This record gives sequence, C-alpha cells and structure tokens, in this order.
Amino acid sequence: MPEFERETNRLTFKLVYYGPAQGGKTTNLMQLHELAGAQMKGELMTLETQHDRTLFFDLLPLGFRTASGLTIRLRLFTVPGQVAHDGTRKAVLSRADGVVFVADSQRTQATNNGESFQNLSENVARVGLDFERLPLVVQFNKRDLRDILSVEDIHERYAGAPWPLLFASAIDGRGVRETFTELLHGVWRRYADDLGLVTEHGLDEASFVTAAGGEAT
Amino acid sequence: MTDMVGFDRDFSLGELLSTRDADELCRTLTALLGTPVAMLDERCNAFGSAAHVVGGCRTPLVLELEPVGFLEADCPQDSLSGAARTVRWGLLSRARLRMVSDLHLEAVRADYAKLQQQNEALKASEAKYRELAATLDAKVKEQIKIIDERQLQLYQAERLASIGQLAAGVAHEINNPLGFISSNLSAAERYLQSLEDLRSVVPSTDWQARDLDFLFKDFVELLKDSRVGIDRIARIVKDLKGFSSVDQPEEQVVDLNAQLETLLTVLVGQKPPSITLSTDFAPLPPLLCLPGHLNQAFLNILQNALLAVGDGGIVTVHTRTDGTSISVEVTDTGPGIPDEIRARIFDPFFTTRGVGSGTGLGLTVARDIILAHSGTVTVICPPHGGTRVTVNLPV
Ligand SMILES: Nc1nc2c(ncn2[C@@H]2O[C@H](COP(=O)(O)OP(=O)(O)OP(=O)(O)O)[C@@H](O)[C@H]2O)c(=O)[nH]1
Ligand SMILES: [Mg+2]
Repeated sequence: MPEFERETNRLTFKLVYYGPAQGGKTTNLMQLHELAGAQMKGELMTLETQHDRTLFFDLLPLGFRTASGLTIRLRLFTVPGQVAHDGTRKAVLSRADGVVFVADSQRTQATNNGESFQNLSENVARVGLDFERLPLVVQFNKRDLRDILSVEDIHERYAGAPWPLLFASAIDGRGVRETFTELLHGVWRRYADDLGLVTEHGLDEASFVTAAGGEAT
Repeated sequence: MTDMVGFDRDFSLGELLSTRDADELCRTLTALLGTPVAMLDERCNAFGSAAHVVGGCRTPLVLELEPVGFLEADCPQDSLSGAARTVRWGLLSRARLRMVSDLHLEAVRADYAKLQQQNEALKASEAKYRELAATLDAKVKEQIKIIDERQLQLYQAERLASIGQLAAGVAHEINNPLGFISSNLSAAERYLQSLEDLRSVVPSTDWQARDLDFLFKDFVELLKDSRVGIDRIARIVKDLKGFSSVDQPEEQVVDLNAQLETLLTVLVGQKPPSITLSTDFAPLPPLLCLPGHLNQAFLNILQNALLAVGDGGIVTVHTRTDGTSISVEVTDTGPGIPDEIRARIFDPFFTTRGVGSGTGLGLTVARDIILAHSGTVTVICPPHGGTRVTVNLPV
C-alpha cells in the first residue's frame, strides 16, 4: 500500500523494475529519466555497479503536486537481476506498490526469463505482497536484436496471463514510456479508490498518468 | 533504528548529519564566503548552533525531489547555490551509504533466514533418508509380498474365469439334450395314455397273463421318476449357470443370502447324505460385489468344512448384519484345527489332505477374494470343538 504522510501531505508509490540479469532494467530507468514528462524529476541515483551490473539498486524519483496540494511521489527502483543477489532483490522488492517485469526477448534468454518470473512470484509472497492484486506489467525488451522470440510467440505463451504485455527497445528508448504508462494505469486502478484520489484530491486517471510522467493515451 | 524501517525510507537532515558536523560545515562555509552561513532543517528551523541569518537568502538542499534542509546566508545567490551543491554532494554520499548499508542488512537478514530454512529442510530430509534406509529392507519385503499376492490373485482370477467359462459351456451343452428328453417324456406320457385304451381290445385273459396292469402302473411310475430326475438336472444346470457368473467380472448388487442358497443347492448334491447342512439366515442389506468370485470363496470354505466333518457331522451357515457390514459364519462339528496348522491354512499350496485331493489353494483363494472385497476372514476353533470360519464384508 502506498505510503501517505499526513504532516507533509505526501503520497509515495514504490515501483520496482524486476527481471533477469542484463535484461535492461537500468537502461529503462536511464531512458525514463530523459523521457518522462513528470512535473518533478530527480536525478537517477545509480548505486555501485560491477561491470555495469547493478549490485544494489538504481533509484529514479518522479513526482507532481495536485491542485489540492497533495504531493505524489513515484520512486522507481531496479533490482539486481543476477541470481546470486536474491537477498538484495527481495529487500528492494519489499513494500512495492507496482512492478514492471523486464524480460529479455532473445531466444537464448527464455529460461532466464521464466526463472526470474518464478523468482518474482516467490519473492512477492515472501515479502508479504499479494501477487494476484499487485499491479504488474510485462515488458519484452531488446526488440532491436536479431534472434528474438516473435510477438506472436510471446502472445501465445502469455495467452492465459492477465498482465499487459509491452514490447520495447530500451536502448533507444522505444516502448519505455509506454511501459511506464501502462504501469501507472494499473497503479491507478488498484489504489485510486482506496486513497480517495478522485473524491478527495480531484484527480482522474488521465491526469494522474500524465502528471506522473506517462504518456497520455 | 534501522530495525523496523526499510532502506528505502526518506532520511531527514538529522539522520544524515550530526549537529556537530553541521556546525563545522557552517564554520567552513562562513570562512569561504566571508559571511555567516546557517543551516536549516526541512521546516526551516535552525539546524545546529548557527543562528538564522536575518535578511539572508535561502537555497534548498534537495536529495530527491524535495528539500531536506536549506542553507541561509546574506550573499549572492550564485555563491550560495555553489555552496549548497557541495553540501548536497556530501549529504547524498551519506544517504547512499546509509541506504546501501541498510539494504545490505536487510538482505543479509533475509539470506540468513533463508539459510536457516534450508538448513531445517536439509535436516528434515536427512532424517527422512536415515529412517528410509532403516526401513528399506522391511519395505522391500512388504512390497515383494504384495506383488506375490497380486500375482496369485491374478492367476486365480484367470482360473476362476476359465472355470466359469467351462461351467457355462457344460450347462449350455446339457441344456439342449435336456430339452428334448423333457419333451420326449411328455410325449411318452401321452402315448402311455393312448396305450391304456388297448384294455378294451385285448382279451382280459391275455391282459392278465402278461400282467399288463402292473406294467402300465409301473410305466407311469417310471416316467414320473424320470420327470423328477429331469427337473433336478434342470435345476442343477440352472444353478451351475448362476454359479458360473464368475466369468462376469462386473460388480453387481446382490442379496448374499440368495447367493449362498444357490451355492448350497449345488453342494447338497455333492455331500454324503449323513452330513447335515443347515442354514440360519438373517435378512441382509444389498451387497455390491463380484458375485462369481464370492461364490467361489464361499464354495471353498464350505467344501473345506464338509471335508472336515465325519459321518453325522453338521455344517451350519449363519448370516448376520449390523447395518455396516455383513458377517457369514461357517461352523462345523469337525475335530478343529491344531494351533500350529491354523496359522498356515491360508498359505498357498498348504494342505493336510493327501496329494490329489486338492491344490491347497482353496482357502488362499477364498481369503484373497474376500480381501479384494475389503473384507476379513478369521478362523477360530472353540474349546468345545469344531471350527468357525467368520467372513466379514463391509456393505
Ligand atoms: N540491443 C539492446 N541492448 C539492450 C537493450 N536494453 C538494454 N540493453 C543492453 O543490455 C545490457 C544490460 O542492460 P542493463 O539495463 O544494465 O540490464 P539490467 O537489467 O539492469 O541488468 P542487471 O543490473 O544485471 O540486473 C547493457 O549492455 C544494455 O546496453 C535493448 O533494448 N537492446
Ligand atoms: Mg541494472
């Protein structure tokens, strides 16, 4: 559940980019830092890395202020994708309000995707979140590469799954904002009523998504 | 303090900087800028001992989106912003360090908890394997026994099926001649009546000389006896067919009393006349079973009882029920079974009778069939003599 601080009238959503190592989570955040048209946009904080691989997390803060005076913050985290860092991954996932699962479209990575997704569902349960109700979108990244699963293949594999499927090439920014937008919609649908965003703060879905840096549809 | 809250919380100025550090920073900046510099927290209260600079300008210290504090000094905005950037840089380094060390702590804790869990699981599986190793021998023996029994059951089931086919075949073969003998007999009876008319034609001296009165009377008697015999054969054939339902492997709902009745009619013809077969049936609930197989089981038990009693012996069949199960008791007045033998009577190929009198499989088959119906068989030899075989079948 997003954190609301009464004294500062501030609402914070924690959104986590999850997925297999080298899938492009950090790249997504780097591109969002450029592309997101949020009212407030902080620096991308990249913690220590080892040969470009995230060891702890990256953090991109976005935010906006509503007419009612409420500050809404979205803190976007990436987890380390490498299998060995499961403890860290789980700690970063704790208290998440929404998740983007960044899969690697390359055929050779299909197993890693599957294992990472399995790991996500297990860790979601371990940190006390409800997988059924957690806003989640799945992004198939690296569409620019050659030996990748076809869109039809992927749609077929995910036919029974309830999550929105997006295709991206994070390296050149394609699909990055669209993915984030889709997550914002999911987050709105999940929490807007509980938080009284419409009734108490006069927000609507479209303005929430746009102000938070997503693309208005 | 990092115990309950996560690494991803917001840090206040106080968490990142002690007031002593703040004072030192302000002193340094004051010297650099040549004018008093104060540090304020996010609510614009003085942080540390440097007092508000009245009339000075403020620059926010922003780590993410919103200020965690301010610098205040009476100097050009540019200089102050430059100073703020430097301070921010230091604060950000501290924040990163705090986040990483807290995250590390959280992760280590999670890893440790997981390690403990794995350790527990490992211990449990080790214990399980140790136990398994200990019981493996016994388990293998048990399995072998089960396989042996199944094999025997299979063999018996096939054997029963072929006996059933044979019985059905014989019954069919006998039925045909039986039919024409029966109708021939009826014809013979009619012819005899016509022949009686000869009495008015044949001179009575001749009639008497040939003792034809007796002949006609005896003839009628003979035909009547034959009719009784034929009817009896017909009944036996019918019973045989009923019994031979062993070739019908489907389960049926039957009245066990009726089944036993059929069985006994077959047996009555086989037993020596000096042995009494008596019944004491209580009404029974319907039983879902393989009737042919159960017939075979009871036949084997009854044949055993009949062989056990001598001249003048009595074999009694009782049926009882308590609503949830049916019990059939076969009691005989034979000599009983010695203890050391009783333990073995259900063993395959065990027989106390001479070679050729039986396969020694009768009671084994009986028990297997009853076990297959989830029932039990017990054998008791009461002190006053005889043997009581009790079959219990769940309804
Ligand atoms: N061709 C191609 N390469 C990409 C794309 N997105 C990311 N990459 C590259 O893939 C590599 C890994 O990307 P990252 O964003 O660091 O991956 P990550 O998911 O953060 O990896 P971890 O931090 O190890 O979990 C980098 O070399 C990226 O340049 C893409 O869309 N196409
Ligand atoms: Mg990364």
